[in-house]
Amino acid sequence: MNLLTSSMLTAMFILLLPIITSNTQLYKSNLYPHYVKTTISYAFTISMIPAMMFISSGQEMTISNWCWLSIQTLKLSLSFKLDYFSIIFIPVALFVTWSIMEFSMWYMHTDPYINQFFKYLLMFLITMMILVTANNLFQLFIGWEGVGIMSFLLIGWWYGRADANTAALQAILYNRIGDVGFIMAMAWFLTNLNAWNLQQIFITQHESLNMPLLGLLLAATGKSAQFGLHPWLPSAMEGPTPVSALLHSSTMVVAGVFLLIRFHPLMEQNKAMQTLTLCLGAITTLFTAICALTQNDIKKIVAFSTSSQLGLMIVTIGINQPYLAFLHICTHAFFKAMLFMCSGSIIHSLNDEQDIRKMGGLYKPMPFTTTSLIIGSLALTGMPFLTGFYSKDLIIETANTSYTNAWALLVTLIATSLTAAYSTRIMFFALLGQPRFNSLSPINENNPHLINSIKRLLIGSIFAGYLISHNIPPTTIPQMTMPCHLKLTALAMTIMGFILALELNLVAKNLKFKYPSNLFKFSNLLGYFPIVIHRLPSMMSLTMSQKSASMLLDMIWLENVLPKSISHFQMKMSTAVSNQKGLVKLYFLSFMITLTLSLLLLSFHE
Amino acid sequence: MSMVYVNIFLAFIVSLMGLLMYRSHLMSSLLCLEGMMLSLFIMMTMAVLNNHFTLASMTPIILLVFAACEAALGLSLLVMVSNTYGTDYVQNLNLLQC
Repeated sequence: MNLLTSSMLTAMFILLLPIITSNTQLYKSNLYPHYVKTTISYAFTISMIPAMMFISSGQEMTISNWCWLSIQTLKLSLSFKLDYFSIIFIPVALFVTWSIMEFSMWYMHTDPYINQFFKYLLMFLITMMILVTANNLFQLFIGWEGVGIMSFLLIGWWYGRADANTAALQAILYNRIGDVGFIMAMAWFLTNLNAWNLQQIFITQHESLNMPLLGLLLAATGKSAQFGLHPWLPSAMEGPTPVSALLHSSTMVVAGVFLLIRFHPLMEQNKAMQTLTLCLGAITTLFTAICALTQNDIKKIVAFSTSSQLGLMIVTIGINQPYLAFLHICTHAFFKAMLFMCSGSIIHSLNDEQDIRKMGGLYKPMPFTTTSLIIGSLALTGMPFLTGFYSKDLIIETANTSYTNAWALLVTLIATSLTAAYSTRIMFFALLGQPRFNSLSPINENNPHLINSIKRLLIGSIFAGYLISHNIPPTTIPQMTMPCHLKLTALAMTIMGFILALELNLVAKNLKFKYPSNLFKFSNLLGYFPIVIHRLPSMMSLTMSQKSASMLLDMIWLENVLPKSISHFQMKMSTAVSNQKGLVKLYFLSFMITLTLSLLLLSFHE
Repeated sequence: MSMVYVNIFLAFIVSLMGLLMYRSHLMSSLLCLEGMMLSLFIMMTMAVLNNHFTLASMTPIILLVFAACEAALGLSLLVMVSNTYGTDYVQNLNLLQC
């Protein structure tokens, strides 16, 4: 009996403490943010204990506590699954959240509701923990919905702004569509396998698992912003930068990918599902990379970068490598959160300016931010031996040597080079060249909160890949031998993307901007997807329902077919047959003629 | 049948023709209606008196009473039409169309 159970549950319980004490005086003081930050740092250190134990001895555990209710043959209880995925993800998530909390102590310093902000962030973290450690689908659903709700509250943090409210509502709606898939999968599991806990699902054999896996794929599409349900993620940048850093880069959007990773024993056997996942991820990664090329808001570019990396994770699941996808989740959290924090530092220093066309020449005034931005971008593009290399390069290698859909692999390679292109674009416009911003904004990055938090993630971005990938237990074996040109493909594509983007930016720097071409418009307007999809289906469905309910049912069937048509018909017929036109004289005449005729006829009858 | 009955019967027929065929005034049909009533009264009196049918001696009086009622009714309708349209032309009575 060792410390795994108690330390993990202690770490989880520590996270609950600031929520429980939110009724006390502490919540109203201005020490509350500091208290929350130190709570998370303690939770991180305590959660490293189970991580070390897992790394050294490979011990996994399932904790089944309190039986909630039993519905005939289904037993729902509170159970935590501490296996490879959750034990490694929890310290990573807590580390990143710790840095983000410290960053938001600087970023949201002047906000009067900063205590509520920290409470919301903490509640989000708790629901994310629930999601990650859930052993049955019901608990996972609780965490799933919880992160959705906290995302809504946090995106609409500045609720006086109409765009923020629209973006929050958009996030909820798109996530809801994904939830339909989740509930369908839950219903299928309940009726066919009589279980909601993962162990029984994986053991029970069924001849065709297409339906629940489709449902789970839909859920992942909604939550992880894959193509078709993706517009909410760039719109979610209306929230404050710490929210973007925590939710929409590291933690919430990987929930969908995490769900698919959890169900990898089911996906291993289903080739059709894998192909579908692969193609979906490939489309997503290429489309969002194309959209990221011409955006002008620095946070939107990073959001599209997140979306592209999520597509890459889905591609990895599609080539049957769930452990690599998980590794990419962990490493991606570090540098993406850091990229968002650097953007936040730039934005605040330039007095809330988010347009990269109005930044420039920040290389000298903000050296630390410049350093971390460049290192983060390099890690993102997979520079050898930084963090991203250990996961991204392995993914590209495995994709190159696997026997699957060649189109999807080609698209992924193109998206890799586009990643380098838009990263170069960010660096070029924000950091290099002559300044294009107002000269009166006080550029100051000397706050210890800012520096320490970015510094921690910087160390993580450089070393975490190495540390994690050399300490985890062996999983599916990556491809060890391949031809030289395949091994160097990822590096070559990245370098090509860098050079092309740099050349184009330098050449076009002083040229006059003519009318945008069609390709530019396609990329800038996000492929016309939100414009079309937000208006056309809703208008069509509303018109169709109005036509069917009001026109068809009410006015045609209930009004016109029997009642009105009968009366109309009768009136027409009676008008045609009875021709009373008020011609009194003619009627009298006909009366007389009848009389005469009858008299004449009858008088000659014998 | 004797000549006098034929004569009065012919008067009735002529009045009937006048009732059913008139040009424009409603008054002319009312007058013909009075003519019909008159010929009926004469015929009834002649029949009662010639056949010494004393029990039916009051029928001409009753006929006169009903004729008076009906004449009053016809005249009131004429007055209504004349109030609405100013004249009693029959072609005014064309509102009741289907």
